[in-house]
Amino acid sequence: MSDYSIQELQAVLLSRELKNGELGAAGAAAAIPMAAILLARLTHAPDLQIAGEMFVNPNPTQLWPSMLDDRALGACEAAETFLELFGHSHRGLDFFFHNGLQIDAHGNINLHHIGGTLHEPKMRGPGAANISYAGQSKRFYICPTVHSRRNFVERVDFITSPGYLDGPESFAAAGMNGGPHLCVSPLAVLDFDPDTLRMRIHSVHPHSSVEEVVENTGFELGANRNVHMSKPPTRDELRLLREIVDPRGYLR
Amino acid sequence: MSERYTKQIAENEIGACLRAQLSDGDLLAIGGLFKQGRPTALVREVIKADFKDLKVSSSPGSGFDVDLLIATGCVAETYCPAVTLEERMCPSFRHAVEEGRIRAHCVDALSVVGGYLASANGVPFQPVAAWKGSDVPKHNPLVAHITCPFTGETLFATRALRPKLALIHAQEGDVYGNLRHLSTMTYADQMIARASDFVIASVDRIVAPDDILSRPRETSVPNIYVDAIVELPYAAHPSGSFPHYSIDEAYIDAYADLAEAARKGAPEGLRMFLEQDVSGCASQRDYLSRLPDTRLPALEEEARNL
Repeated sequence: MSDYSIQELQAVLLSRELKNGELGAAGAAAAIPMAAILLARLTHAPDLQIAGEMFVNPNPTQLWPSMLDDRALGACEAAETFLELFGHSHRGLDFFFHNGLQIDAHGNINLHHIGGTLHEPKMRGPGAANISYAGQSKRFYICPTVHSRRNFVERVDFITSPGYLDGPESFAAAGMNGGPHLCVSPLAVLDFDPDTLRMRIHSVHPHSSVEEVVENTGFELGANRNVHMSKPPTRDELRLLREIVDPRGYLR
Repeated sequence: MSERYTKQIAENEIGACLRAQLSDGDLLAIGGLFKQGRPTALVREVIKADFKDLKVSSSPGSGFDVDLLIATGCVAETYCPAVTLEERMCPSFRHAVEEGRIRAHCVDALSVVGGYLASANGVPFQPVAAWKGSDVPKHNPLVAHITCPFTGETLFATRALRPKLALIHAQEGDVYGNLRHLSTMTYADQMIARASDFVIASVDRIVAPDDILSRPRETSVPNIYVDAIVELPYAAHPSGSFPHYSIDEAYIDAYADLAEAARKGAPEGLRMFLEQDVSGCASQRDYLSRLPDTRLPALEEEARNL
């Protein structure tokens, strides 16, 4: 194993995606996304704006299991309330992050139930606080902490937050824009084939392989001739991540 | 000259106040978010008063206290977008839905917050433009399609949510019911207070009315929306009441272990916990005395050092 953890790698890979001047948000159990945002601010995007449902530009001194309470957000530039849900949801964000019990080939996210029906589920998940950002953000990232055949499925049992639905036609028919941009899993970075809007391997993490990704994905990954290796954290990225963003080593 | 009416109630009056305002089957709203600013001491009073078939709503994120209400059999329906302990699931919620003992309505943040907003504004619904592609609005009992009377555009409406009773927690308040959140975030507390028929607030401490008068911009919920206020030490525990005390993750985790064991067929530990440490507590002091001696000072220190 290398000298960085898988979650540190996921945070670094996501941080490189975020552009200076953009407006985005993370969710509740969101240590990896928040680390990505904070790291991006330190490296290349000092003017990255964060505005979740109740706060603007928080300045947490460490990562916490939840990034949606005063431990993480007590210091921020503005404290708002859930009323802002309407403002942010209607205007949209540049980016948001999602995770799910199930993630499917078209990037749909399920947090409601696995098996059975919604009201007679085999397994009931937590549900989701805010689904409006999936449709109202210019793009979103999927960042699961597990990559297995159990959570990477052909079709989710319930669409909590929509990805590309059943592909280009249904996505257009629903009047949707944006959609999932990348999935940064513990094994690989997956992107979406522009023709089918199905997930395919974009890059494989240094500790993994194409075979391992295929073996652990419950659907057929789209073909991609240009698979490369995910670029590991640079010395500078890792130093900033550990010294400033995550001094308690939550991601290690 | 007559005295101004004080809304402060004593701890031993909470049960009677709850029973006067809430009946079995009513909608109860709980303030705070996930593990912060939750009126947990008041929720334990609801459990002790043995309510049945309650409908429960909150801000978009709920966890420990809603799970506790479900574990004690008080709840028939939830209108809670997310019910989770964040790092792990809520075992009693999950167990009850999977066994068909409660109805977990498929709602999201905008429908619930929009519902409070409509109720607070005295209108039957709040228009919403933001849902596309998700299965949630299809199953959401609060949501219907509407046509814009100006443009003809198709929109969603989310139905006004009017809780019979709301329980909220703030760090400070005065005897007239003015509340002051010292926490950075105030969640949906202001909207829930405006949306509900009756509001009971717990506070960490009662401050002098002159103190409220000296900083009116900091009054987060004015007394016209608060019907009763009670001062209780650590009333939010095990949720956090920032900046006074942080979140007792260990307490919540210990409960979740017991509830998870119950879900998997070993209910004895959970039953003992609920009987002894929830229903069996004679008072808030009694409840707090069961915590390890070092716990509350550690939570205060964590909040101080943030």
